[in-house]
Amino acid sequence: MKNPVAIVGVGQTKYRRKHSDKNTEELVRDAAMAALMDADIGLDQIGLIIGGVAPDSLAGISNIDMSSIARPGIPYFRVNTGGATGSSALLAGLSWIAAGRAKAVLIVAVERMGHATSAPIVFNSIFDPIYEKDISMSTISMVALRATMLMQNYGFSQEHWAQLAARNSATSMKNETLENPRFFTADQVKDSGVLAWPIHRLEACPTSEGACAVVLAHESIVGDRNAAWIHAARGLSDTYAIGDRFHRPEGSLVNLLTLDLSAKAAYKDAGITDPLGQLDLVEMQAPFASSEVMAYMALGLCKPEDSIAFTERAIENRASIAVQPSGGPQAANPVSATALIRITEAALQIRGKAGERQLDGIRRTISTGQGGATQFSTAVILGADKP
Amino acid sequence: MGKDNQNNADATNSAYIYGAAVSASWADASLSLTDLIFEGVTAALKDAGMSISAADSIVLSAHDLIDGRSLSSMVTAPAAGAYLRDEIRLSEDGLAAMSLAAARVEAGESEVSVVAAWGRASEGDFLATSRVAMDPFTQQPLGMSEMDISAFRLSRWMTKHGVATPARAAALQAQKKRAKTNPNALSAQSVAHPVSFPVHADEGPKWADVVVAVIIGKKPSGVRVTGVGHSTDMTQVGDRDLLAMPALRDAAKSALSDADLDLKDISIFEVDGMTLSDEAIAIEALGLCSAGEGFKSVSQDSRINLSGGSQAGWCYPAMGLVRLSEAYLRMRDKSKEPTGERKFALVTGQGAGGGQTSTAIILEAK
Repeated sequence: MKNPVAIVGVGQTKYRRKHSDKNTEELVRDAAMAALMDADIGLDQIGLIIGGVAPDSLAGISNIDMSSIARPGIPYFRVNTGGATGSSALLAGLSWIAAGRAKAVLIVAVERMGHATSAPIVFNSIFDPIYEKDISMSTISMVALRATMLMQNYGFSQEHWAQLAARNSATSMKNETLENPRFFTADQVKDSGVLAWPIHRLEACPTSEGACAVVLAHESIVGDRNAAWIHAARGLSDTYAIGDRFHRPEGSLVNLLTLDLSAKAAYKDAGITDPLGQLDLVEMQAPFASSEVMAYMALGLCKPEDSIAFTERAIENRASIAVQPSGGPQAANPVSATALIRITEAALQIRGKAGERQLDGIRRTISTGQGGATQFSTAVILGADKP
Repeated sequence: MGKDNQNNADATNSAYIYGAAVSASWADASLSLTDLIFEGVTAALKDAGMSISAADSIVLSAHDLIDGRSLSSMVTAPAAGAYLRDEIRLSEDGLAAMSLAAARVEAGESEVSVVAAWGRASEGDFLATSRVAMDPFTQQPLGMSEMDISAFRLSRWMTKHGVATPARAAALQAQKKRAKTNPNALSAQSVAHPVSFPVHADEGPKWADVVVAVIIGKKPSGVRVTGVGHSTDMTQVGDRDLLAMPALRDAAKSALSDADLDLKDISIFEVDGMTLSDEAIAIEALGLCSAGEGFKSVSQDSRINLSGGSQAGWCYPAMGLVRLSEAYLRMRDKSKEPTGERKFALVTGQGAGGGQTSTAIILEAK
């Protein structure tokens, strides 16, 4: 990057189904203060705060960021790109620093979906009001369409979805940000009831609340701070209509075209020609097992014809890259914050601060963000070395 | 919020405006929201003499509740040209989106960017949706909305400066007259939502279905972004100085500093405000006139809101970008603005919550 920027501080609350004991301001304060302390940077050094809040309807209060994240006297705006909100906010912060407008930017994303009386109804209203709302389309039925397509076109089975979910569940047990991590086996996933065939209840991400904060710093103020450097950050937006993505020459609905193109652009920026050989860790915004498999292919970790073999290696933790060491969004998916959490988890691993889930030798990572029926995609590459 | 490394007086690191389009309509049943957005962006591209293929990034400003969709940009972003382009959507006033797009251009991340904002008041009642942004314990039970914040602000002004009936009437007449001559203004009859005392019914905004788009880029053109400023006020209305409007004042101060200019260097002002009194008080807060003289400035100062302001059509969150577009279109209109000398415009945009966030941008034309 022309003007190197690093993540020098991160902060996270516990993620759990519902934070009944804390209001949004308190959650934000916990995450933001932890990030600032981790960065050893005061609020007076922050030139911009960016809030990340996705559907207002999930929180039940419109513009909930204005009382919780915005601070008097500090420039502020809010990003909202659905599930990609957190990573889109990070991209906006990078632009701000690269333009010379600030030396340090604080990004805070918060989710209160546990307060929504019915998240599926809210998610139904993200779809087209004429063609899709009335057939009760939801994020889960949308995922089910793709899972069946993967099963039909590539030979995946329900066993794969169950085993991936179980693998992520086992991995998440070491993640101290999860207040109540769920441990279950593949058999338990298959016995957990069907939400929308072939998606079983335990495969689906849980309703999750919490806040995540990141401090971005221009190279001139990084100094001897423990830094995870931004090597590349790219994003692209796709067409809305899922039907338009079935038979495109560039790829079908399960090929995640915009993630594929975002990753390719990021790899080019970072000088990566062999993702599997040059990256040590991947944190994907994959709230379902089938979402994770689609991302493997889009990120170039495997070819479509090798996707089953790669998936089986990932299930057995034998892939030559660390896959979702946090447990990923199947363990916790606070929608507004999830994409920022993926970046935060990668930064923690690079900085050697991931606690019990810390892995050895993590020097280069990729984190993805996906929003709006995988319409909005981001790819962020972090590294231990200054680019 | 001046730059840390250099200010925008340096033209080599600037964003330039290539074209803009503003449309204000009311409940046109022949056009869906996506149709309106597509037409608006297409008009701006045409104004810039470009096709969408020239653009490599999109920055949007839209609000879910006003658009009536839980994730508005899923359906609307493609209509704004976002297909296979870098796109970010802000739930903020449109001038903040313009600022972010300019940052991306200044950073060398984008060659040509489409900035678009919209609000369809005929479908999304802004005042109704603004009520759910209020504190659920202390404000929502009272039915408080953005209109009440405007009313509190005017009420505070009146306690210091009196009812000022003649000045308010003159300002309103001036704005209505200007809106009539503005080709971008709403000409159709729209709904009249109730206002809150002491705001008079006709001092409220002319609610409209507003779409605005601006095309910016790196390659030098006639008008450039030469200063940007942002600031933020206290959340609770009771904690704020509603007349001094420190966030607006600081945003403008930062933009002027960024451009290395003084207020006296500016010859065109487009100041955002939902009601006539919001505009008048913002003009005072900016230091364009003495305290208590804001309404008089609206009617008599030929530098300010010649577009007609909120009387030309209004719906959050499009309005800061509308103010910028109006200033830009005027600056390049040789019949209205003589060329040959440096000319500067200051535009402002107010975020939700009675302008808790403020953005100010300075444009320069030669």
